[in-house]
Amino acid sequence: MMHNFAGWAMTDRQRAQTEQAYVLHSYPYRETSLLLETFTQPYGRITMVARGARRPRSALRGVLLSFQPLSLGWFGKGEVRTLSRAEWHGGHPLLQGEALLCGFYLNELLLRLLPREDPHEVLFDHYRQALMALARSDASAVVLRGFEKALLSELGYAMTLDRDGDTGNSLDPAATYTYDPERGPVRILTDGSEVSAEPLLQGKVLLDIARDDYRDPLTLVQAKALMRVLINHRLDDQPLRSRRIFRELLAL
Amino acid sequence: MKSPSTLEDLISALRCLPGVGPKSAQRMAYHLLQYDRAGAERLGLAMGRALQSIRRCARCNTFTEAELCQLCSSAKRDASQLCVVEAPADQLMMEQTLAYSGLYFVLMGRLSPLDGIGPREIGLDVLQRRVSDGLVKEVIVATNFTNEGEATAHYIGEMLKARGIRVSRIARGIPVGGELEYVDSGTLAQALIERRSV
Ligand SMILES: [Zn+2]
Repeated sequence: MMHNFAGWAMTDRQRAQTEQAYVLHSYPYRETSLLLETFTQPYGRITMVARGARRPRSALRGVLLSFQPLSLGWFGKGEVRTLSRAEWHGGHPLLQGEALLCGFYLNELLLRLLPREDPHEVLFDHYRQALMALARSDASAVVLRGFEKALLSELGYAMTLDRDGDTGNSLDPAATYTYDPERGPVRILTDGSEVSAEPLLQGKVLLDIARDDYRDPLTLVQAKALMRVLINHRLDDQPLRSRRIFRELLAL
Repeated sequence: MKSPSTLEDLISALRCLPGVGPKSAQRMAYHLLQYDRAGAERLGLAMGRALQSIRRCARCNTFTEAELCQLCSSAKRDASQLCVVEAPADQLMMEQTLAYSGLYFVLMGRLSPLDGIGPREIGLDVLQRRVSDGLVKEVIVATNFTNEGEATAHYIGEMLKARGIRVSRIARGIPVGGELEYVDSGTLAQALIERRSV
């Protein structure tokens, strides 16, 4: 008996993997389980079922929280894996207040833009850094812009920020540009033919974004508009829920 | 053979219950029709009556048959305190503590941006009107200690503080009688962050 049991445990452990991960979102599943959308360090997004996690005394209840670094173990093949263990890693405080909304926004971006089972270790690191910065109550706008830029770049849509998308010339800090998601910065001609273009960006702002320098308030304002256009483009203009709700909350 | 469309209707209707998939719905329907027709009839009647007579309390938003629920119409409750909870079950738990004698507001949900549940969906505008009755002095937010519950608490706080209402949040930490050795690390870490002077 002992031998059999040990043998079973061994093969089960071999099949199971334990990796650093975050829970992006969870949904009730069947009567007592949770369906987890996770972002794992080596494999990217993985969907897992946490069996019994909704039972009143489940030890998983307090562990499977978003925005917290976790060690998750799972086994199985196919679209939905089975969670075998979950441990809380700790290291940074829970998100509070407005930072929580920013966290939901980051998670929605990952859920909407990151394909399942696509490894993104660099992005995982950016995500971890962004959450840590939000937990430390760093300026949230700067954290969000940095993450959006990293996300676009990791998805293969790195932004051109140092030269004109049409001519290839260096950007003139004093000139006004707009941004075409496929071409990059496009200079606004002085005859005003493209003045209705969105977004309007100063050359200096684009250069600031390239260096992740957000000290200039104008850079923060215009970078937000630029990222919105680029992200909407990647989302095929399907609106983000967290953005709508953030707007509604500000109006309270 | 008779057309089974009525049966199919019943099965698909049962699937609106949480956690009930096509298999369980089929099992339930067969069970009711085959073994418990009286039970099925009772269920049907009770459902119809409940739908007709149960509505939301005009003051606290919980389920009631009257315009105001029993608790809201009680003269013994302290109208200066209003406790905000996510669900009727949470209100029941608060009542069982026998430690609270104020009134309630039941959100029937919590902010959940990823599920598209915002301030309108949980009636924060209704809460705001409720709080402006001139009697409420303090609002105690007792939403869950999940990210969603915390976000809800934060925005209720912002909304009401801007209108001069005192807002407090129930405390969290080590359970009463709890031994550190057996507390999960997340709870312990947060208890350390939220420590108080003695
Ligand atoms: Zn009531």
